[in-house]
Amino acid sequence: MKFEVEKLIDDVALKVGYGEIMGSTESVEYVLDRMKHIISIAEDKGELVRYVTTLIDKSIKARPTSAMLINSSREILIKLNELLDKGIAVAELKTELSKVIEDIILKAKMATDKAARIASHRIVDGDHIMTISYSKTVLKTLDYALMDGKRIKVTILESRPGGEGVIVARILSKKNIPTTLIVDSAARYFMKNVSKVVMGAEAIAVNGAVINKVGSSILALNAYEARVRVFVVAGIHKFSLETVFGELVDIPTAREEVLLPPDKRREIGENVKVYIPLVDVTPPEYIDAIITDRGVIAPQAVPFLLKEVYGTLPPKLPEVKDLIRQALSKI
Amino acid sequence: MATCSVPLEVTRIAEDIKSMRIRGAGRIARAAARALEIAAEKFEGESIEDFINYIKHVAQILVSTRPTAVSLPNAVAYVTSVIDKISRMDNINEAKKIIIGRAREFIEYSLKATDKIGEIGSRRIEDGDVILTHCNSSAALSVIIHAFKQGKRVKVYATETRPKFQGHITAKTLLREGIDVTLIPDSAVRLVMKNVDKVVVGADTIAANGAVINKVGTSQIALAAHEARVRVFVAAETYKFSPATVVGELVTIEERSPLEVVDEDFLKENKGIEVRNPAFDVTPPEYIDAIITELGIIPPQAAILILKDMFGWAIKDYYQYTTIGCEMEEI
Repeated sequence: MKFEVEKLIDDVALKVGYGEIMGSTESVEYVLDRMKHIISIAEDKGELVRYVTTLIDKSIKARPTSAMLINSSREILIKLNELLDKGIAVAELKTELSKVIEDIILKAKMATDKAARIASHRIVDGDHIMTISYSKTVLKTLDYALMDGKRIKVTILESRPGGEGVIVARILSKKNIPTTLIVDSAARYFMKNVSKVVMGAEAIAVNGAVINKVGSSILALNAYEARVRVFVVAGIHKFSLETVFGELVDIPTAREEVLLPPDKRREIGENVKVYIPLVDVTPPEYIDAIITDRGVIAPQAVPFLLKEVYGTLPPKLPEVKDLIRQALSKI
Repeated sequence: MATCSVPLEVTRIAEDIKSMRIRGAGRIARAAARALEIAAEKFEGESIEDFINYIKHVAQILVSTRPTAVSLPNAVAYVTSVIDKISRMDNINEAKKIIIGRAREFIEYSLKATDKIGEIGSRRIEDGDVILTHCNSSAALSVIIHAFKQGKRVKVYATETRPKFQGHITAKTLLREGIDVTLIPDSAVRLVMKNVDKVVVGADTIAANGAVINKVGTSQIALAAHEARVRVFVAAETYKFSPATVVGELVTIEERSPLEVVDEDFLKENKGIEVRNPAFDVTPPEYIDAIITELGIIPPQAAILILKDMFGWAIKDYYQYTTIGCEMEEI
């Protein structure tokens, strides 16, 4: 593989790995955009297959919790295998595959948009919403609510590590939404002022558990205790099919510097350990509804939705690693 | 009334309490007693009446520095409770000696109490325990350190404790003792709770019903512990129990400057964003397994026992020389 392509792929993996790109949807959009780019510079079929499969493999390793990344990758690889079987010329292969990727991006956008539109119906005039971290889907939900003339207030958690809440506060304030920024520890203190909790998702497991930015689960527990409703907004592309087969989602962690700059470590003591989980799992019993592009469902009804979308349960879908192996064997 | 010029050292202590250079309920209480001791030492007048007014004035300055921690007015009230006795005296030097003696007595008691709490509390810690603590509490640390020194191998999760990162001080203190410490973001408390055996935290104030007012975030930690059936211990000296709450006084939750959370530029650029920074929250007694005091371990619901033993029902008199409680009704 060419050095510059390898470097480009490593760079993408670094960025999607919970680093510079904030939202889970955006990080996948970024991978797909870069994928289109490396397809365009591939000189033959062999290069193309190696580039695409390496990018997929490294991105998933960097962000293993992203269901959207895995689902999109699967779709692309299925199509890639089909196209390779047809034995078409490299130029045509490039065009076809790029079209597939564009389609996926568009479909995800539409799904996000539709889920947000539906979710906005659950927001009523005068609602005070608490949310966490950066979610494009949640922001869109609020946009729709505003568009309908609903007056809303938002309390956003700082969302350490990462501190995306500070950026979200700015975005909300620019939309003229009365916005309150608080530290993560103050979620329970302010819960009594809140009428709804709305959050996005990195992945939704088959039992309705929601994997999202760390702190989401204590936020949901606080809401549950205070009898505040919790809504998770996510397109169907965020549903983790792998969990149907009992795969546990590993909890990825951040680099130590995110929490503890080197000079701080020296000051505290070199032996200090740091654990910085990036996501956590909110159990279905603390979630009132998952709002998808297919409609509102109880978290426990995820299998029903999956069956409707994929025809069978468990869905008969190949695994990403098998698809990669297949594709590589065809060059 | 004679003009009272307050010694610079006393003003400095008051300033340091206000700005949180002196923090932690125990340290604040000792600093306040020390300030009264200095004030008495430096008094240069001859009249007993002037001396009493001067001490009352200093007492009010001290009490007004922080609104939440009851240890502060309790310490001040402990020292000033001898004022009635002094008012019947005629030798100014004797009067000064009484105040000085009383202040020293409090400081000594306070230091011994922390140690005693460690001794008593450590009996509840078992070999191999994983303990989670929040913020930086000398009483809580005393429990952990005592247990460790008894040869119990303990591991500690310390929350970083936004906005002021007191968790770093906790980590540093425990590391110096050779204890295994892992720092976590505050948002990760529910995630790590499944690995935790016991939660040990301090308290700023304990109300008559056993509710614990402590660093913001404590209540959601206790909630997460309750959910995971992890025991919650609150380590607190008896002077952290609030007599005023017996007569229905509410504990004021101090809200501190937004500059502890964000910087000045952020506030200037985002005038629409409200940054709220409560320093404390209230943990209901049902999430607390026991309060460890220097007199022994009590269930939180028995807080009234400590209050009655310590202060009797003459709470009205207890606070007569401090700003709070001056308009209290007899019950």
